[in-house]
Amino acid sequence: MDWYEALGLLLGSIMFLMALGMPVALAFLAANILGAWIFMGGERGISQLLNNGLGSLTSFALVPIPLFLLMGEIFFYTGLGERMFNAIDRLLGKLPGRLSYVTVIGGTGFSTLSGSSMGSTALLGSLMVPEMNKRGYKKHMSIGPILGTGGLAIIIPPSALAVLLATLAQIDVGALLIAGIIPGLILACLYIGLIYVQTKIDPDAAPAYEVSPMPISAKLMLVLRDVVPMMGVMVLTVIGMISGFFTPSEAAAFGALGVLILAAVFRCLTVEAIKNSVIGALKVTLMAYLIVFGSATFSQLLAFSGASSGLIHWATSFDLAPISMLLVMFGVLLILGMFMEQISMMLLTVPIFFPLAASLGFDPVWFGLIMLLALEISFTTPPFGLLLFVMKGVSPPETTMREIYTAAFPFIGCSLLLVVLLILFPQLALWLPG
Amino acid sequence: EDTISAVHAFPETLIYTKSFLKFVDEVNEAGQGVVRIDVRGGPEAIGMFQQADAVRDGIVDMVYTASSFYGGTVPEKDALVASNITAVEARANGGIALIDQIHQEKMGVKYLGWFDSGVCYNLWTKDAPKLDAEGNLDISGLKLRGNAVYNAFFKDYLGAQVIDLSTTDVFAGLERGVVDATGWTQIGLIDLKWNEFLNYRIEPCFFSTDLGVIVNLEKWDSLSDESKKILQDVAIAHEKSSVEEMRAKRDEDFAALEAGGMQVITLEGAAATNYLAAAREKTWDRMKGLMAEAPQGDGNYDTLISHFYDADADK
Amino acid sequence: MRLLTRAYDTVLYAMASVAAAMLIWLMVSIVISVLMRNAGFQPYAWLFTSSEYAVLYLTMLGAPWLVREKGHVHIELVTATLPAAMQRLVSRGVALACVGVSLILAWKGLELVLTNIARNDYDVRAYYFPRWMLTISFPICFSLMAVEFARFVFGKELLHSGQAGVHE
Ligand code: NA
Ligand code: NA
Repeated sequence: MDWYEALGLLLGSIMFLMALGMPVALAFLAANILGAWIFMGGERGISQLLNNGLGSLTSFALVPIPLFLLMGEIFFYTGLGERMFNAIDRLLGKLPGRLSYVTVIGGTGFSTLSGSSMGSTALLGSLMVPEMNKRGYKKHMSIGPILGTGGLAIIIPPSALAVLLATLAQIDVGALLIAGIIPGLILACLYIGLIYVQTKIDPDAAPAYEVSPMPISAKLMLVLRDVVPMMGVMVLTVIGMISGFFTPSEAAAFGALGVLILAAVFRCLTVEAIKNSVIGALKVTLMAYLIVFGSATFSQLLAFSGASSGLIHWATSFDLAPISMLLVMFGVLLILGMFMEQISMMLLTVPIFFPLAASLGFDPVWFGLIMLLALEISFTTPPFGLLLFVMKGVSPPETTMREIYTAAFPFIGCSLLLVVLLILFPQLALWLPG
Repeated sequence: EDTISAVHAFPETLIYTKSFLKFVDEVNEAGQGVVRIDVRGGPEAIGMFQQADAVRDGIVDMVYTASSFYGGTVPEKDALVASNITAVEARANGGIALIDQIHQEKMGVKYLGWFDSGVCYNLWTKDAPKLDAEGNLDISGLKLRGNAVYNAFFKDYLGAQVIDLSTTDVFAGLERGVVDATGWTQIGLIDLKWNEFLNYRIEPCFFSTDLGVIVNLEKWDSLSDESKKILQDVAIAHEKSSVEEMRAKRDEDFAALEAGGMQVITLEGAAATNYLAAAREKTWDRMKGLMAEAPQGDGNYDTLISHFYDADADK
Repeated sequence: MRLLTRAYDTVLYAMASVAAAMLIWLMVSIVISVLMRNAGFQPYAWLFTSSEYAVLYLTMLGAPWLVREKGHVHIELVTATLPAAMQRLVSRGVALACVGVSLILAWKGLELVLTNIARNDYDVRAYYFPRWMLTISFPICFSLMAVEFARFVFGKELLHSGQAGVHE
């Protein structure tokens, strides 16, 4: 079978099943059964599929996700989150879209601690969406910024994905990590600009309040009592990581523990709150993990069948000008990113793209950062961006996938704009490491 | 023409994978019109730890992997891990033939060749390692990153605090001081950039890499005699040439590391002997225990050791 | 029959509770091992390994319950445009396909367990852990998932909302 037939068959079957409304995880499993049957020699291929799933699910890299979810859910169900956001409302109520800004600023801060986009989205989503929903924010104002900042986690150091990319591509790890700082901050600024534009176009999307004037001492009191302790948990988690007390992968456990302790101190830790928090975190975790179980194997089938490598070789076989070639490579990453998991994508493309980039005269660190941006975008591209499903899990039940997709697009646009900026001004990436 | 599908355990950019891909090229060159290896990819095609089952079940015909990844099925692989000789000697003295026979019996795969041998492991540390009055390595206070292959040695002999970290987490772990020492092969440290944090290499080196090519037995039996001969001949030639290439790469890496400030601390006399003996014997003990549990028993134990360990070489 | 249903429900919810306990275990095991390490003790390797295995177990033990809770995300962008009668048919058809997928995986999962036992396979990490003790989670998970999806084929309730894409 030629690569484009294999690609058509695998992508066609999964798109068809998803369009019918089959649960995403089951659609992956069904497509895997079909693919394993054809490409892995019939029945025994299905056993291999289960073995592969076993391998992808017994991984420490997945551990932070449920713990960040738990952290967010405890914030929500104990009312600690509400306290903090009420305080922010009373302080900044007049600013339209204030919680969207809080999401971007808080999320960017949080990205500097977390290397996990899924974990970051899980925490922000479970923490912010219910609160913003209660306050009358339209869906795209809550979901969009969270999806955007979730992706920042892999651009701004620390980032396990960036370390892996640098290692695979044999480029300087430190340089790639540092190169991500300025573009990461620019991206956060683009998000803030986007929110400003969105609130100008539709002021009702994020309602403003009349704030009664408050003496400065009352404001200070409010900050000290309702904002500092909650922020403190996050700050302590960052400090614990930077000081080497625990690794980024272990940070989530201490974050969750910190919120538990805080809730106990504030006397709002009820059995009911704990139970609801665990159930909430469990539901999203189960949904996301079963999709990981299916999609990891789907990625492997795309590779094993030769479908994805065929696409890569075909797309890079044309003799084009450097800039066109860059766009071709970026396009391939975007297409693969719609269906594949990030690590598989790196393993597949790095051996082909980096030598090609070198022959075209691109700076490897700069090219590595462009590639990281493509990977970041692929977390949120429909139909299969994993963050979209995490978002679906933490959003109120009436949220539709269509709303989540539409919320994601403007923020994907910001990332694309950043890529253009990096092409025009490579110094944005190369100035700090240089 | 016979076609053989193949996958490799490590990413394509890693030195060991490049060595395997060179073997593939050599086979495809020598086997024109007779036999051809079709590489389907690395861990992105079939997970690193699932490849052994895949070749056993015939999903793929050939796999290049570390035998430690299927050590539950073939515990005899520890003879290679604790070896102090290379594939050239083990091929000549019948050691590899015995390993092949065991692979066929216990796993239903043909052991075609032990590649990239002659590379051993060092302990690498951030701070200057301490030695006690007798010159033994004093590991107290060291935060050592562990791994299934050398945990028995690190914990039981050195009494170290072993911290399990995945390879991708080690960089961040070293950066922040979660760990300050790790075992690793002589080559590859630069590729992982761990040399940014590690400053000392402790000699002597212990253990050996255990990377090999295994082929599904049914597939092997179905090949023409001509194909089999080409594959086996090229594999034996590659066993030899890869030893030389890895040694050249090691010398190159060591020179680059030392130019970058890496210091070498060497254990002397009885301290070195005890250190190596412990690495070896803890591994042999594990092998004997697991062999005894299998229906085939541990009858091959002494033969294996005599084929893969040369006491004179340690003197 | 009633008794059987009650027993089945008990099993389903008990599995979900174990999954919830494992989620908490993830936090506890990491906190213990970090505290031990920083206090200068050697953290038990099983603390780390158990959290890796917990990820698999909690997924497999909780997934059938999540089917009942309709928590496995699906997309109704296309089907929402169909007429109501057609939507019901498609919904039951999709649930039936899910039963099929689950049954295939339950059956192949059972085969895998038997193979692992026959071959005496181990999962090699810090310890040599019998592989069948991991793979046994497959037939259990997928057979219960088949039952849960079957409820949406034959039962009163539908898997999909049918409300023009609102409850996707
Ligand atoms: Na983005
Ligand atoms: Na980060």
